[in-house]
Amino acid sequence: MSQEYATQRQSGGVTRRRFLTGASALASAGWVAGSAGGWLLRPERASAATPIKVGIATDITGALAPFGNANWQVAQFVVTEINQQGGILGQPIELRLEDTASDPKVAIGNVRKLIQEYRADVVLGGITSAMRQAIKDPIVNRGRTLYIYPQLYEGQECTKHLYCTGPTPAQQCDELIPYLIKKQGRKRFAMPSANYVWPQLLNKYARKVIEAHGGEVVFEEYYPLDQPEYSATIAKIRDGKVDCVFNTIIPPGLQPFVKQLYESGFQRDGGMISCLYYDENLLNYHPAQEMDGLFSCLDYFQSIKDPFSEGLQERYNKMFPGTKYLFTAGVASTGMYRGIKFYEAAVKATNGDLSREAVSAAIDKATLASGPGGGAQMVPGKMHCKMNMYVARCKAEGNKTHYDIIGKYDMVDPKEC
Amino acid sequence: MLENVVTFAFDILSFTSVMVLIVLGLGVIASMMGIFNFAHGEFVLLGGYTAFLTQDAGLNPWWGIVLAPLIVGLIGLLLERSVIQKFYATPIIAMLGTYAIGLVIREIIRSLLGGHYKSVSEPWPGFFTVGRLDFSIWRTLIIAITVSVIIVSWLLLTKTAIGLRIRGSLENPMLARACGISTGQLYTLTFAYGSALAGLAGALIVPLYQLSADMGLRFLVQGFLSVMLGGVGTFEGPVVGAAAVGALAASLPWLVLPVLADPLVFLIALAFVKVRPQGFVGKGRT
Amino acid sequence: MLNRSWAPRFGILPIVEAVTLAGILLAPFALWSRPELITLATNVLILALLGISFDLCWGYSGIMSFGQALFFGVAGYVVALVGRDLDFSPISGALPLAALSGLLLALAFAGFLLLGRKKPTNIFIALGTLTGSYAAERLVSGWQYVGAGNGLSAVKLLQIGPIQMVEGVPFYFLALVTLLVCYCGSRLLVRSQFGLVLAGIRQNEERLTFLGYRVQIYKTIIFSLAGMIAGIAGMLFTYHQGYIGPGNMGPGLSTTAVLYCLFGGAGTLIGPVLGTATIEVVSYILADIDRIKQIWPIILGIVLLAVVVFKPTGILGFFVSDRERIGSYGIRAGKQRRTKP
Repeated sequence: MSQEYATQRQSGGVTRRRFLTGASALASAGWVAGSAGGWLLRPERASAATPIKVGIATDITGALAPFGNANWQVAQFVVTEINQQGGILGQPIELRLEDTASDPKVAIGNVRKLIQEYRADVVLGGITSAMRQAIKDPIVNRGRTLYIYPQLYEGQECTKHLYCTGPTPAQQCDELIPYLIKKQGRKRFAMPSANYVWPQLLNKYARKVIEAHGGEVVFEEYYPLDQPEYSATIAKIRDGKVDCVFNTIIPPGLQPFVKQLYESGFQRDGGMISCLYYDENLLNYHPAQEMDGLFSCLDYFQSIKDPFSEGLQERYNKMFPGTKYLFTAGVASTGMYRGIKFYEAAVKATNGDLSREAVSAAIDKATLASGPGGGAQMVPGKMHCKMNMYVARCKAEGNKTHYDIIGKYDMVDPKEC
Repeated sequence: MLENVVTFAFDILSFTSVMVLIVLGLGVIASMMGIFNFAHGEFVLLGGYTAFLTQDAGLNPWWGIVLAPLIVGLIGLLLERSVIQKFYATPIIAMLGTYAIGLVIREIIRSLLGGHYKSVSEPWPGFFTVGRLDFSIWRTLIIAITVSVIIVSWLLLTKTAIGLRIRGSLENPMLARACGISTGQLYTLTFAYGSALAGLAGALIVPLYQLSADMGLRFLVQGFLSVMLGGVGTFEGPVVGAAAVGALAASLPWLVLPVLADPLVFLIALAFVKVRPQGFVGKGRT
Repeated sequence: MLNRSWAPRFGILPIVEAVTLAGILLAPFALWSRPELITLATNVLILALLGISFDLCWGYSGIMSFGQALFFGVAGYVVALVGRDLDFSPISGALPLAALSGLLLALAFAGFLLLGRKKPTNIFIALGTLTGSYAAERLVSGWQYVGAGNGLSAVKLLQIGPIQMVEGVPFYFLALVTLLVCYCGSRLLVRSQFGLVLAGIRQNEERLTFLGYRVQIYKTIIFSLAGMIAGIAGMLFTYHQGYIGPGNMGPGLSTTAVLYCLFGGAGTLIGPVLGTATIEVVSYILADIDRIKQIWPIILGIVLLAVVVFKPTGILGFFVSDRERIGSYGIRAGKQRRTKP
């Protein structure tokens, strides 16, 4: 292995290493080029153990680049920490990144490389549900590989060997919506949505909760992902006397919508907006004042004061000083953390057996004692996990945002499968 | 009810003004040189990118609005002198060639943007209220700027000597050359002017629409349809065509599902061009 | 344009074709241990069909079609939908379905664009195809039934008899056979009397019209056939990738088809195949080198521009004389000179 590395270095010029965002952080933390283009941390006690191959498939470019880059940095962060403690049972973890480019068409080809060329033992990634649906076939069916999906989504993903470590609609809506209706007096909801599977199924669930608590859905509309014009929508919001916008539009249509909504004076006139994936990272998309007053419900916010989470943030910021891709929950970073830690726990439980069946059986029962926002527990047989949920409201301070925690709910059941 | 009508009219007007800016340049180039510049959408993109760069450099965003037409006009001039001149003889190759140029520009910008979508803020954000309606300041400004540009262009064309020569070349290039007008220089000038207009349109529109490497394609297709709808060969033709396409694009989402409205605009415009190839105001050359 | 001073006694094109055929037949054995390269090779064969489809339009008939991917994508969507909703994917049904979708849609399109009282201008055809492709992309981007912006994934696997086809050597041979059949069919067509008329159209449309040929009808026929081939390619692509999306239907892929064809050499049928192979293989190799990967699309654009401006006959233009390209219909150049019509 080191021989190979030496030759690669000597030949200079073109190598098959991938230079990526955060590569410098990896290099400074001691990572070197591994086999087949992955990154490998040479463990302190240089054992000749074959590394565990973890494939990360996320959006480094494209509309969701801020999400994907945050994911990738968190993956590097978690794996570096694991490797610094000797890896999993002495085996170091090797990472390889493939860019899914916010485009399922490109993603499939790249993910296939992870499976066929790199022969990953597990793949983590995918952000939008559309991406997940596109890449799960090459990974789980054709590739017969374990797949962990780290992002909040609409539920109903019960494929074998596909584990979800992000919040489900039950975890996000069951507390947030009653809060909005009862404590904030919202009655008339609008659902402007991106036209794909997450908003459609999520809206179905949310509508049930809204109507069960006495609210009303004034309209529910779907737009192409990159729609730039929302004047018709804003007019409907105004005419329908909507007091709460339950937004499921995603980038790139997101920015024009939020901007046009803000400019129409909606928030100024007392309207409220809530969006389930909004966190501190969304500053990459909007100026702070457009997010002021927004409600979100996630498994973690940076304003949570618990020692473990704060320690994580500190160490993350030390590894990536000044980065604009923050460790936050809406962009699947917490899910990525959980996913890798669950995998670590599972491999420890199988005593180093990396075969999919063994690891899958072990993950099914895995628990994490601590994590960002709290620990997590896989619900056996249900492919999803329980986690702490927090309802929060965004406050703009200058050109930064801060989320005030309103409520905390322990170990909420995902209610899936 | 009245509110809806006013808002509706305002929307159409603001969308159309952008289309008109884009189409003016495209139309004049098509009429005069007989080539269809498939890179025109990318000039719009370049204008938007210039605005983004000025914002990124920390300058006052108004500089972006000023610089965009200048820079894009210059790029247009250079392109015309170097490559596009070779295409005048064969319009078919011109299509392919300008398409390739557009591709190169688009991919350069895509790599500069890193594949991300970028937000550019408006130089003059916010809204003003008239009665019970709120109007975006920036959109109003776009309409104002477009109207001024149209007026200035029209004055240039009709009241100046060079305008006279341009109109002559537009109507009958052979005769113009026979009269001693240097059509080559005029072509370069016109191309640069058309590009500058596209650049201005890009800088104006990018605060509204998100800068991304693919935004040019949409404007290209819409621009072309407008030109053909309005009719090649005149000044008013493309403007009328742009108004029609703009009205169609702004009004359809109110009538049909938004997801259907998008492709319908193109299909309706295309069908119309098929039925009336010379366009609304066309005369002579198609 | 005719290069009288250099006309070899034997045709270069058949040699190129033979070498390419040998290469394609031997490839899977050489790449046996590298499944990802077999996948790449299969993709090359499938996309080569798309390149041929464009060549039939532009290289042989002078129809500037900026929207060939439309038929590619529509056929792909059709088979994906049929697999999803009707649980149907045997090749005996899927192949005719895809071919028919491509054919009928292209026919309808050609009818709209080409036929009618007034002769359509070249710009109208180019714009019409571009618009069609773009509008279709926008339509499926918004239509939830077909997966909207995210396309259709987890496509039901293609079935040949009892076998379910995934990526690998069997699929490679399927693609190979399809390419061979389509290629030979096209080759026969363009070297027939029909092809002669096409050559005439390409040279001077007006002249042919004055000679009494219904030029637009010929164009419609070739356009429809090209659409059919593109449809077959789309079907293979969808089953191979397990995915079809709006991006596979729009101006992006259409432009790539143009690039494949022009780069390789328009008007030769083998040119697009070579062009596709070169570009796809080089793309694959460079994909891991980040510095170049970022500017690769720019390089491709410049290549297209260079080809258009400097060498419209593409790579093959360096080896193949114009006389061969235009065609010695069944009669070898050097044996009996056929004077141009």
